[in-house]
Formats: sequence, C-alpha cells, structure tokens
Amino acid sequence: MTTAQELREKKQLYFDDVAVGQELTPMVIGPLTPTHLFRWSAAIENWHRIHYDQSFAIYHEGLPNILGQGSWKQSILPRYLKDLCLPNGWPWKVGFQHRAMIVPGDTITVWATVTKKFEEEGMGFVELDVGMRLQYGAESCPGKATIVLPIKNGKAIPYPFVPPKKLVAQ
Amino acid sequence: MSESASKGQTALTAEVKAIIGTTAERIEASSSWGIEREGLRRFTQAIMDPDPLYWDDAYAKTTRYGQVITPPIYCSYLARRAQPGEEDSVTLAFKENPNSDGIGGIREGVKGALPPIPTPLKRILNAGNEIELRQYPKLGDRIFSQAKYHSIKESVGKDGTHMLIVTTETIYTNQDGEVLCMLRASGIRR
Repeated sequence: MTTAQELREKKQLYFDDVAVGQELTPMVIGPLTPTHLFRWSAAIENWHRIHYDQSFAIYHEGLPNILGQGSWKQSILPRYLKDLCLPNGWPWKVGFQHRAMIVPGDTITVWATVTKKFEEEGMGFVELDVGMRLQYGAESCPGKATIVLPIKNGKAIPYPFVPPKKLVAQ
Repeated sequence: MSESASKGQTALTAEVKAIIGTTAERIEASSSWGIEREGLRRFTQAIMDPDPLYWDDAYAKTTRYGQVITPPIYCSYLARRAQPGEEDSVTLAFKENPNSDGIGGIREGVKGALPPIPTPLKRILNAGNEIELRQYPKLGDRIFSQAKYHSIKESVGKDGTHMLIVTTETIYTNQDGEVLCMLRASGIRR
C-alpha cells in the first residue's frame, strides 16, 4: 500500500509518459479480513448484515461468507485513479460492473491498462481498462475509466475540472 | 399489475415509462455542520488511503486545492448517516423484525429518495456504476444531492423473462451550487 510520504512526493505522470497497451502501476490491497469489512460498514453506516454477521450471511442468506461491500469497491477505484493522477491530473470518470464476490482472505490488485490516448483543448485524455483482480485471477470490478493528464510544457488541468464540450455526453 | 408482467408481457409499461426523468427532492446530504475532520478520518481509514490531502493542512495549502479535501465520492455516503435526535432506526427495525437483514426498515423513508417504480419486479441486482468527478469537497462544505430516474430500459432473458434496467443519477453539489460529482447506478429488476 502507498504511504503518506509516497503520496506527498508523488511525481506527476504525464500524458507523454503513457502509451496504448501500457499497464499502469497497480495497487495491492489485502488480504482483507472481517475487520476491514466491519470498519467500512461502520464508517458509512451500512448495516446490511451480510457484510459483518457471518452466521446471518451463511445460514440465512446462503452466502459463502460475509461479503465485501460494493460501496467499498466503488470508492477504491476512484481512489486508485486519484493516486495515478496526483498531483495535478484529474481522475475524470470511471464506470464498472460488480462481478466476482470479495470475501475475507482475498487480496485485491487494482489495475489499469491504457487503451487510447488523445489530446483535447490542450489536455491529455487517457482511456483505461480498469479492474480489481482477486488472487485467483477472477475479476471483481471490470470497467473503463478516463483520466486527464497534463502534457509536458502544456497547460495546467483546470480545477475544478471542466470537461471539453466535445466530450460531454448529450 | 400482475406478477405475470415478468414473462411474456412487457415490463416497460406506460406507468413505468412515466416515471423516467422523475426527480427526487433536493436534500442536504451532509449534517448541518458540513464536512468535518472526524468523519473524514474514519472514512479514509476504511479505504486505507493515507493521502495527506485529507488531513495535513500545511501540505494541502501547498497544493492546487489549497486546503484539506475529501476523497472523490466521500460526499455520496453522507445522506445515509443517522442524524442526532432521530429515533434509532436500527432498534426500530429489529423490534419490527428480529431477523431484519439490517436494511429493511432501516433505509426506508430515507430523505431524498425517489418514488418506487410501479412494477411487480422486486428483485434487484446491481448492474454497475458510473462516476464522474468535477471537484473535491473540502472541510466545512455543505453537501446537497438530488436523484432522478435517468433511464429505464427493458431487457428480455433467453427464457422470455422481461426485466428492467433501471439507472438512477444523483448529482452532488456544494453550498454554492457547484457540481462535485455525478453518480449513476444501474440495477436489474427481475
């Protein structure tokens, strides 16, 4: 896992630095424990028992174990993209599906592969395939993302981010 | 509407179509005191993100954000928090049903919720999420949200079962009306 100091000293990834097909630096989380799951449920006040009550999950719901929360996954992918873009890029958008269940004992590799890159209004747009792969190869959260990276010697990415009109879905 | 609507008949009835575009009440998702450090600390601990942007004022001042901010979609979890003074929904839910799954009776009546979809299809499967980010909330910000039924489409399974793909969109704004992020969640009703 990334440390606070590493994030503080993070070097900017530039548009010029990435190429189609490139695998960006992954982030590994885990192995997850029931305590990790319970901590998330408590932090966001999600009291669905399938996430922290093992007897309920197995005997009442017929699940293999308590389950990692979809809401947690939903925050992990943007967190990973944010880290990739620090300090001055922008993790513009991400979409994903919920596939393989996450259970205690799982180790998750959050990953991204560059599928396309293009310039628009002086900014570097990088499209990615993304996901959260489990230790046995199953994909828990396949999706697609677009991040915005500065171009070397180019203009700064505006903050708040305003997407080019040409790229906004009607 | 009969249960048979799921097989052989369209699930995308006129009643269902009429609800597309329906917008819920715009609500204040955060507590009246806005984004505060302790909630932020607990959240960043739970996503295991030690980023100093979330806690180190001196560092944050040196960045383009200028002050402590929150993780990308932190604001989307605020509305589910119980507010001080409310009757305890957990106690109520289990009093009503000792086998409560922890959701039934607890989340019902959540402020800013969309009206129910007039369909007999009650089983919901999560089909995916889309997130678009414009800016990060900062300490003290008050967060507002508004949900709408973005789209409802029909899908027919191989066995002829009719299903609905329901996509809701929630837009989060700050006290100045600036868009922070937009979340779309799709669910399969079957």
